[in-house]
Amino acid sequence: MMGISIGLGCVLGIIIGFIIPTIPYTASQYLAIGIVASLDSVFGGIASTIKKNFDIKVFISGFFVNAILAILLTYLGEKLNVDIYLAAIIVFIGRMFNNLGIIRRYYLGKISEKAHAKKNKKEEN
Amino acid sequence: MKNTKAYISIAIICVVLATAITLQIRTMKKENSVVSQAFANSELKDSLLEWKEKSENAEKDLEKSAKELEEIRQASTTNDNSAEEKQEELKKYNQLLGLTDVKGNGIIITVSDSSNDNTAIDLSSLIVHDADLRNLVNELANAGAEAISINDERIVSSTCITCAGNVIQINGNKVGSPFVIKAIGNQESLYGAITRPGGYTYMLKARSIQVESKKASNIEISKFTGALTQKYMKSTN
Repeated sequence: MMGISIGLGCVLGIIIGFIIPTIPYTASQYLAIGIVASLDSVFGGIASTIKKNFDIKVFISGFFVNAILAILLTYLGEKLNVDIYLAAIIVFIGRMFNNLGIIRRYYLGKISEKAHAKKNKKEEN
Repeated sequence: MKNTKAYISIAIICVVLATAITLQIRTMKKENSVVSQAFANSELKDSLLEWKEKSENAEKDLEKSAKELEEIRQASTTNDNSAEEKQEELKKYNQLLGLTDVKGNGIIITVSDSSNDNTAIDLSSLIVHDADLRNLVNELANAGAEAISINDERIVSSTCITCAGNVIQINGNKVGSPFVIKAIGNQESLYGAITRPGGYTYMLKARSIQVESKKASNIEISKFTGALTQKYMKSTN
């Protein structure tokens, strides 16, 4: 179910991305930081679904607030001539790896559980 | 029910994410830019070095070929007395074409960009332009110079002096300030033509460009190192 929703969303997104016109070059760095923020949100959403504490309000607000803050930081960094967006990228990527760890453990646990169940069944037979 | 909501919202975010990524890739492709500036720089440096090496190799080849040609010419005429006259003639014509090193009395002019750093003046007037060198060469030729070179770039019939950004190209090679212009000819008339009041160096000095002209004896002017081509022209008889 999770895989289907992600796959459908990505396909639809790629189609839309090919249809709409391209953006100016200067805006592309803001878009890039937005991409990192939304990637973080997707991983966070999947991880919270697994942990069964998914809250749609937290998820949606997190996505928009994170992306907007990251874009504002990039803008501020450009004005101050400091690469502040690097800090945002580090935080987002770090959280992505944390969430990925949660997802990975969950699925590994599931797989080993299944293997265990099979073994038990065989022994019973 | 709760899970369905989660799946739908994740799908929506995925749509946004995929749209943004596709858009970004398309934009970057359209701008034909590279992600890392440093990478582009090092790539450019590599290709510059490669081309420099190629150019040097080509120059070496040309030199070698010229030497071979000279040897063959000599070998073919050593046993032939009637050809000796022709050989002399050939030498003379080569000299006139600028294909041999020559020396003689003449003048040396050193022209360099102004050291004036007053920003109120138009900066363009403080540097030596290609037109300035052309005018100087013109003036020297008018005064009867037989051989002229700028920073060891010989002025021959095919020479062009062009602007190439912050340097000047002569015979396709880059030269920069200071420009040392050597000319062989009648010293008095060359010096007079260059230093006369209202002449071109006078005008250059008015632009506070540093010009230094002096008479010198036994100036050595090196030969033209490029190739004189003859692809379209034919003699009429």
